[in-house]
Amino acid sequence: MPSDSEISAVVGFRSKQAAYQLVTRFLEHGLLEKDAVGTLVPGPHFHAVPVLGTVTAGFPSPAEEELADTMSLDEYLITNKEATYILKVNGESMMGAGILPGDMLLVERGVEPRDGDIVIAQVDREWTIKFFRKRGRAVFLEAAHQDFKPIYPTEELKIAAVVRAVIRKYS
Amino acid sequence: MEPLTLSTFPRAIVHIDGDAFFASCEQSRRPKLQGRPVVTGKERGIAASMSYEAKARGVTRGMCLADIRKVCPEAVILPSDYETYSLLSKRFFAIVRRYTPDVEEYSIDECFADLTGLRRPLKMNYFEIAARIKKDLDAELGFTFSVGLAPNKVVAKIASKWAKPSGLTAIPGRELHRYLAKLPVEKVWGIGPNTTALLQKYDIRTALEFARCEEPWVKKYFSKPFYQIWQELNGYYVFELATGEHDTYYTIQKVKTFTPASSDPAFVLAQLAKNIENACIKARKYKLATQRVVIFLRTQQFRDYGLEIDLSGPTQFPNDILHAVIPAFDPLFSPAAAYRATGVILSKLTEAYYGQLDLFGETIRMQRLSNLYESVDMLREKYGKHTVFLGASYLAHKSAQHDGERGHVPDRKIDLLPGETARKRLGIPMFMGEVT
Repeated sequence: MPSDSEISAVVGFRSKQAAYQLVTRFLEHGLLEKDAVGTLVPGPHFHAVPVLGTVTAGFPSPAEEELADTMSLDEYLITNKEATYILKVNGESMMGAGILPGDMLLVERGVEPRDGDIVIAQVDREWTIKFFRKRGRAVFLEAAHQDFKPIYPTEELKIAAVVRAVIRKYS
Repeated sequence: MEPLTLSTFPRAIVHIDGDAFFASCEQSRRPKLQGRPVVTGKERGIAASMSYEAKARGVTRGMCLADIRKVCPEAVILPSDYETYSLLSKRFFAIVRRYTPDVEEYSIDECFADLTGLRRPLKMNYFEIAARIKKDLDAELGFTFSVGLAPNKVVAKIASKWAKPSGLTAIPGRELHRYLAKLPVEKVWGIGPNTTALLQKYDIRTALEFARCEEPWVKKYFSKPFYQIWQELNGYYVFELATGEHDTYYTIQKVKTFTPASSDPAFVLAQLAKNIENACIKARKYKLATQRVVIFLRTQQFRDYGLEIDLSGPTQFPNDILHAVIPAFDPLFSPAAAYRATGVILSKLTEAYYGQLDLFGETIRMQRLSNLYESVDMLREKYGKHTVFLGASYLAHKSAQHDGERGHVPDRKIDLLPGETARKRLGIPMFMGEVT
């Protein structure tokens, strides 16, 4: 390590005292250390590159690359664009499942419903939204509300779509 | 019987046709309408599309509302919801494009697709691919499609019609003669009443009889398109597919009916101005400019009176077109007549470009108009069509296009979701009716 007078010459200080003070500051910040005999040696931060912040220069903004890994709300909510439809709920039969009158549903046509899926079925020429239940070979529809009894189909059960998302827009 | 050709599918072309497309769009989103006779086109006063139930009761295309009620009193007559039909049409083509990029969007409810060479990558034969496309369409759109597989477009069209609705018919070249033997020649795509009459003079009644005519004879007596049809009936691939989504137009046409009919020149001109604005919106969307404008007025007796106007330079702005149209309108308009529709056709379309400098400041004027309409188009994007319109079309915007029951607008335009406006709605088709 250079001596105080050499530092003064390099930095352009008139006195060695100023150089001493600079070294003291370096010691405080861990850039320099004193060894067992009191000689100055490089400290733990001597080779570290301080990052003071980013400066915008001629490089492309990394933001675009980062955003390539994000998706739009459309992509998040809709898996099969061609088969997705929207509808508005009127009834209260699915309140227990958190689906309220006025909610909008994104539903997908043309998929096999699985046990426990919330589905849009066609009952008596109306749309109805219910849980799809499968017990062995028997299938039935179940509401999420105590006032509604399960619906056991007498003929073929027409499931039009499976519910994929619920949207509730305020104001 | 001797086959016309020995190969099966030198090319594999499918023609896909939505069964009673508009009526099916309505039935598939309203369970109430399923199994019932449904007719669309109320706002035009005529049947635009009929469900199979309505067809079975004798409702035909173009039939007027009063006649529909006579032959089928229980018919449900709905106004057309072109927004929904277009959304479903786009989905139709997108689903077919999952299998092949070569799709020709022939009209809103039919397309051709080329499956040639796809057997290996898809690990299916052509019939299986066609069946898979049909299965996807039926399941995801909620109504049925008819599919025809053949070595070319003319025969694919015959195949898709063979077993409608919900048909799936493959006509390999080898089997072609069996189908053509049962098909009257006038049922072939492109053969009209005049050609049929000519063919009958030579005692040609079935498509097969036509296909078996000697080539030199066909070439001698018929023009090129009919010779090409003859070639396709023999199993050759002649008519290429026009693939890719529409990206340009040769002409742009906007026609709109209004009720009641009007004898008021200011109102009829406003209707025409609105059509011109709409045509220009489309022209700007496709970056086209027109140099020839045809305007026409349709009387209540369905007689059209038109004029062709050549413009001094290409434009895509209604201001320029109206400037030329207004002087021409007066001689065209007869105060004694009542008009039910106006229309405009923009032709001689070229790519819009204002780079050419001129001595008379025309470039500067066009640049100003261009800036103005850039803003108008931005407003339209944000707030919907006709947020800003010309004073000339004010009277057409002031009232509904149709009075009385024909003024019924589609439910979807009234049944809005939170945040939607009458001018702008979510681009997702909606299930209609009560959901309980």
